[in-house]
Formats: sequence, structure tokens, C-alpha cells
Amino acid sequence: MTAAQADAEPRRAAPTVVAGDAIVKTFANGSVTALDRASFDIPKGAFVSLVGPSGCGKSTLLRLIAGLIAPSQGAAIVHGREVTGPRPDIAMMFQKATLLEWRTSLENVLLPTELSGTVTKADRARALDLLNLVGLKDFAFAFPAQLSGGMQQRVALARLLQTGADILLLDEPFGALDEFTREHLNLELLRIVGEFGATTIFVTHNINEAIFLSDQVFVMTPRPGKIAKIVDINLPRPRTLAMQLTPEFNALAEDVRATLGAL
Amino acid sequence: MAEHDLPQRSTPRSYWALSVLPHLVLFGALMALWEGLSIINVIDSIMVPRPSEIVSAIWRLYVTERIIYPHFVVTFTEAVTGFAIGATIAVVLAVASSLSDVFQRYVSPYAIVLNVTPGIALTPIIIAWFGYGMGSKIALAAVICFFPIYVNALTGLLQTDEDREDLFRSLGGTKVQVFFKLRVPSSLPMVFAGMKIGLTTALIGAVVAEFAQATEGVGVLMGRFSFQLQMAASIATLLSMTAIGLLLFYAMEFLDNRIVFWGRENRMARVSRARAKAWQRIMHK
Amino acid sequence: MAMSGRIAPSQANPAQPGASLRLRRLANHLGLFLVLLVLWETGSRLGWLDPLFYPRPSAILRSFWLVYFENANIWWHLYVSLGLVLAGFTAGSILGVGLGAVVGLNPLVRRYLQPYVIVLEATPRIAVAPLLIAALGFGAQSKIAIIMLVCFFAPFINTLSGVMNVPAEKLELFRSLRATKWQTLRKLVLPDAVPVIMAGERLALTAALSGVLVAEFIQRDQGIGSLILVYTRNLNMASAFACIFTLTIIGFGIFKGMELLDRWIAFWKHQDGRERVSAARARAHAEEA
Repeated sequence: MTAAQADAEPRRAAPTVVAGDAIVKTFANGSVTALDRASFDIPKGAFVSLVGPSGCGKSTLLRLIAGLIAPSQGAAIVHGREVTGPRPDIAMMFQKATLLEWRTSLENVLLPTELSGTVTKADRARALDLLNLVGLKDFAFAFPAQLSGGMQQRVALARLLQTGADILLLDEPFGALDEFTREHLNLELLRIVGEFGATTIFVTHNINEAIFLSDQVFVMTPRPGKIAKIVDINLPRPRTLAMQLTPEFNALAEDVRATLGAL
Repeated sequence: MAEHDLPQRSTPRSYWALSVLPHLVLFGALMALWEGLSIINVIDSIMVPRPSEIVSAIWRLYVTERIIYPHFVVTFTEAVTGFAIGATIAVVLAVASSLSDVFQRYVSPYAIVLNVTPGIALTPIIIAWFGYGMGSKIALAAVICFFPIYVNALTGLLQTDEDREDLFRSLGGTKVQVFFKLRVPSSLPMVFAGMKIGLTTALIGAVVAEFAQATEGVGVLMGRFSFQLQMAASIATLLSMTAIGLLLFYAMEFLDNRIVFWGRENRMARVSRARAKAWQRIMHK
Repeated sequence: MAMSGRIAPSQANPAQPGASLRLRRLANHLGLFLVLLVLWETGSRLGWLDPLFYPRPSAILRSFWLVYFENANIWWHLYVSLGLVLAGFTAGSILGVGLGAVVGLNPLVRRYLQPYVIVLEATPRIAVAPLLIAALGFGAQSKIAIIMLVCFFAPFINTLSGVMNVPAEKLELFRSLRATKWQTLRKLVLPDAVPVIMAGERLALTAALSGVLVAEFIQRDQGIGSLILVYTRNLNMASAFACIFTLTIIGFGIFKGMELLDRWIAFWKHQDGRERVSAARARAHAEEA
């Protein structure tokens, strides 16, 4: 943790739960460097966005933390233990809702529980609560094809929370949705992860979205993919849409853009 | 689950060593095993002939006695002619159906009846109608290859992209222009898919009609060898049907490749280069 | 489409013509059909068509009466043929689906099997019929073997591609949830492949009908295929046509039956199926609570 981060806000004093230790990832027998020496510390409960153009390694970094791919060098460390594969304390959500079409919303939300053991009555109650939380109380028995794109992502969000993981990784989760739906879901996402006290890492290519949501923005640049700068976002919480019009917000956006532009 | 194979560049030599050689080795080993089991009488060599016998039968049929070629030509001709007739009717009807709702409405019940009836059932009747010669084989091939081509061509012609059609209309395009410049090209991938299925079915039609009643063709030869329990020769004949099938399939694939070039990246690049060159020639004149 | 189900009651498709229009169209279809039949009948009676080769509609109708009721000889042949179809189809398609799954899930097996699959795909499979009869002898077993052979391929290929084409992101989801191989297979890969497998089964059942006919054409002992052959040989074309139209009806039954089965098994692909199952699950939940 840097000195600048340590004295910012009280929450920054929270212990580190996700850390990167010079993570390198190469593909095609080392000829392509997707991620070059990524090092960072993310405190408990923080909301971090990875922002950058395509090919900057943001999705690669997310998958490394998720344990879906292995680093070529270095390591991702979650809760003090090196990530060597998918773990119960880490859960991921994808750009596509990845719902199973033959299952109702409720059954989709219950999937993580089902895969790790048997489903109890309490699990079902909890899944229904989560559907309620994401505003889909009336759609518990609808099939994915009966839901709009935004509603499908809400089901995916409920499924993410059903895992019980406290590290949430989101890979452009609302990227395929229209602007209005996305804004709305972003606000709900903030409310919900705030309620759960989860640590969230969010991938996006939208600079405003990244600043609006986050405590920290990791600005990433391509060829080779690396974290060019970590921008602290000291806007107060809860965030409101009106904040996007303030000079502070614009200054932050300017900072990120300048970093991305100075390639 | 399959891991994502990263594209690896390899020289032709290592390509040969890595991908062709193991196949050949496996094939050789299987043949050797088969031969061996047959020699020690685990496999009945009369019912399941040895690979060596099949090879010698192939040698006899194709090289020394050369009796298969006339039959090969007959079956090939039947299948291709039947296909040409069936495909022509299918495409004409599909075009008419795509242009006129009324026409489609009145043709489709008959097309459905034809589809759900096993065309093969018509074999004896078609032979009674068209005789023992090539005519009946061509007719059966045409009848059973009709439906897949019709249905694919019609689907292709009817899958309209509203936006593109609006674009044509906004540019003042006539119905004829929309048909030839938009519908026909965008239906071609489906048409070729139907043609590939149709070719295979046409071959089946020709061969089955030959089984039923004929004097020439690989089907006749195959039936004769089978009844004489000359299994090796029978398998060698079967392989000639495979050869006809592959020949027809790859001929269609070649055409597909040439005509629907925009569906294939390598073809697209070549056509793009050719057009650039042609353009330059025009400019320099 | 979105948000249907419990909020909006399913509306009639606006493109669907009204009841009276549909009735009129049906009448037009029947009218056209009758005109064709009358043309055929009179053409034959006027001597334009040789009734020996091109039987009149009235003669075909009479033959239906003959083969089904007066002589009632078709029943036995139908029973024989359909029994063989059922046996061969069941065996062949189970084999196809099973092998397709094994091959689809094993990249190595797939790689080494691919050339053989290409060769097999180009071979008219039905052409193996005489060989199988020679090897297995006359009788039911060689017929079943032929049907199995023609039924095997479509389910095999479809299962193979269905199992291989599970969306990568869903596989990634299962991996991130630490699903076991068996869980991934049972809860993701197989259900995802079901619609494609069903399409293969539909093709297979149609092929089975063709397979039994070819087997019976060659063996000529019993079954609907040999019946058609015998009638044609005796130039009793009207009865041959009665048999063929019987096959049309069976074919139509197979078509509709498989469609129903598909709606039942792959219910999530059809709007009415989704609504039905969704309502049923909600009810089950309410009862439990």
C-alpha cells in the first residue's frame, strides 16, 4: 500500500484482501504479453474498476484473480493465499448473463449451491430473497427467454451473490445493455455490494462508469497490457448520477483520459 | 472440455509429422490388428474379409480387370443427372414460392407430403414407369433430392433483412433489383447447403434403384458380389461409392467456395486482391 | 418477446389470419386438390393416362379399402416393418448419441476418428445393405442392422456437435463455480445439446423408415417394402399407391410425433413450453410453501 492511499480515508485502513504480486501473463509460447508485471493492493470492501481499451489485459487480469487462468510469473493473492484455481470466496459475473435456458430464474440462482452440495429449504429462501433484492420477485419462475437482457443480468447478479463469495469479479456485466438500463443497474449494483460489504473488481471500457462506481480506477494500457496508473476516486458515497456533472468528476475523467491518451 | 488451442505456426514438415503421421500409424495398426485377428481365426474371414483381401480386390477391380469403371460412370451419370433435374425444379419452385405468397401456399402442402413420404418407397413404381435402364435411377435421384434443396433455397430466399431491403427501397431500387442484387446473393449460402445434402441423397437414390432392378451401375455390382459372398470385392465396390460421394461433395464445395467467397476469409482476401488489380488496370487504360 | 409469461397474457400473433379467412383458405386447398383428382380421373378415363401404370384416384381409394379391410393384408406387413423400425431406431440412435457424446468430449478420440467420419459421411450408408444381408443372412437381424446403420449417423453427428458447441462463457461459469466434470456434463453440456440431439433423432427416425424399405426391397419376404414390390411386379399399381400413401401418413405421424416430443423435452425452446413449465413450477413452489 502506498503512503498516499494510507492517509486518504478511514476505509483505506482496511486490510488488503486482493493483491497482485508482479503478475505476468504471456500467450502463444511467450510471444504475446497480455499482462506485464501487474502489482496492486485492494482493501476489504473496496470497489475497483479496471478500465482501458481492448487488448489492455483487463479481462486477463480478472481471470487471473478468478483462478480461471494461471499466471506465467508472479501471483494473485486473495485473503493471504495465492490463487491457484477457482475458489469459493471468489465469484465471477460475465458480460453475457450465462443463464441456463432450461432453468427458471430461481433454479439459475440456486446453481452455485447445487454445485457445491445439496439445496436446503433455507437456500431456496435465500435465493428468493436475492431475487427480491435485484427486483425480480415476480419472475422467480420465469425462464431466461421470457426475460429482457437487463432482467437476465439481474438474475446473474443474484446468482453471483448466492455463491456467498466476498470477492466479486465483474467482467463488463452490463456492457451489452442500453445506456439507461446500464445506469440504473449500476446504481443498484452499488447499493447491493455496499449492503453485502463485498470487495468488487469491475471491468469496463467506459471511463465515466469506472469513476462513478469506484474507490479506485486501475487505468490499463495495451501492448503489452499493464496497469499504467491507479487513480483514487475520493467522491463521497452514496454516489448520485448528478455527481457526474461536478468539476471534481470531470477532473478525474480528464486524468484517466490523459493516461490513456499518452500511449 | 477442450482447452483453447492457440494457433501454432508450424512448418509443412512438422505438420506432416504431427498431424498426418499419427493418423497413418493408427490406421496401419488397426489394419494389422484386423489382419492378425483374421489369421488366427478370431474374425471370420469369409464374412469380414481381411484388409489384404480387400486391397487385392481393389487392385483387381480397379487395375487389372478394370471392370468397375463402366459401372462407376453409369452411377455417377445417374446421380448427377438426377441431381441436376431435381435441383432445377427445386430452385425454380423455391424462387416462385419466394415471389408469390399464393403460389407458396398452394405448393407447400404437396411439398410437405413429398417430404414426409420416404422417397425410397417409390422405387418399384418408378422402375415400372421408367424402365430398367438409367431413366428410372435418374428419376428416383431427382425425386429424393428435390426436397432438401427446395426447403433450403426457399428459407434462404425468404430470410429477409428488413434494414437492407429498406435501404434498397430508399435508393429507389425496383423489385427486380431487390431480388437479384439482394435476395439471391444472400440466399446462396443456404442454397449451397441444400445442394450438398441433395447431392448425397441423389447418389443414394441412384444406388437404391440399382439394387432394386438394373443391369449396370455400382449398386448392381455390389449386389452381385454380396450375393456371391465375395465380401472383399463388395467392400471394394462400396469404396467406389464413397469415392463418388466425395467427388460430388468436394465439387460442390469447390463451387460454394468460389461463389460464396465472402463467407471464407482466405477466399475473400484473394478476391479482394484480384479486384484491386482489375481496378488498377482500368485506371491505367 | 421479453417479459412475457406472467405479465402480458400471450397475444394472438397479428400475422395469423382470422378464423374465417383460414376456413376459406382450407376450402381453397381442398378445392384445388379435388380439381387435380378429377382431372386425373377423367384424364385416365379418356385414355390420356394408362390406368395400368398410372392408377386412378378412385382405384387407389378402392385399394385402400381392399388392403385395410377386405383382404386386411397390410396390417401384418405394417406390424413387421414398424417393429423393425422401432428396434433399429432405438438401438442405432442410442449408439449414436452415446458414441457422439464420448467422441465430442474427447479431443484426442475426435482427432483420430475424424477422417473415418468424413469417409463415412460421403458413403451412401444405405448402400451397405447388401453387404450386411450377405454377412448376417436373411431375416430380422440383418434388417435391424441396416436400420441401425442408417439411424446411427445423424444422432452421432448432432450429439458430437451439440456437446462440442457449448458456449465457452458458460463453461467458464461452471469452472468458476468449481463444478466437477460430471456436474458440468449433467447440468450444462447435455441439456445444452438436447435440442440439437432431438433434431438428429428426428432425422434418424425418418431414415429408419427408408432403411426398412431398402432392406425389404432386397429381402422381399415380408413387410411393407416387399408388399409395395409385389404389388408393383403384379402391376397392381393402385394397391402399391395405397401402401405408399400409408407411408406418407406414417411419415407425417413421425414428423408430428417428433415435434411434440421436442416440445416436451426441449420445452425452453418454445414459448408455450416455457409458459407451461414456468406455471407448473410456480404452482409446485406455492404448494410446498
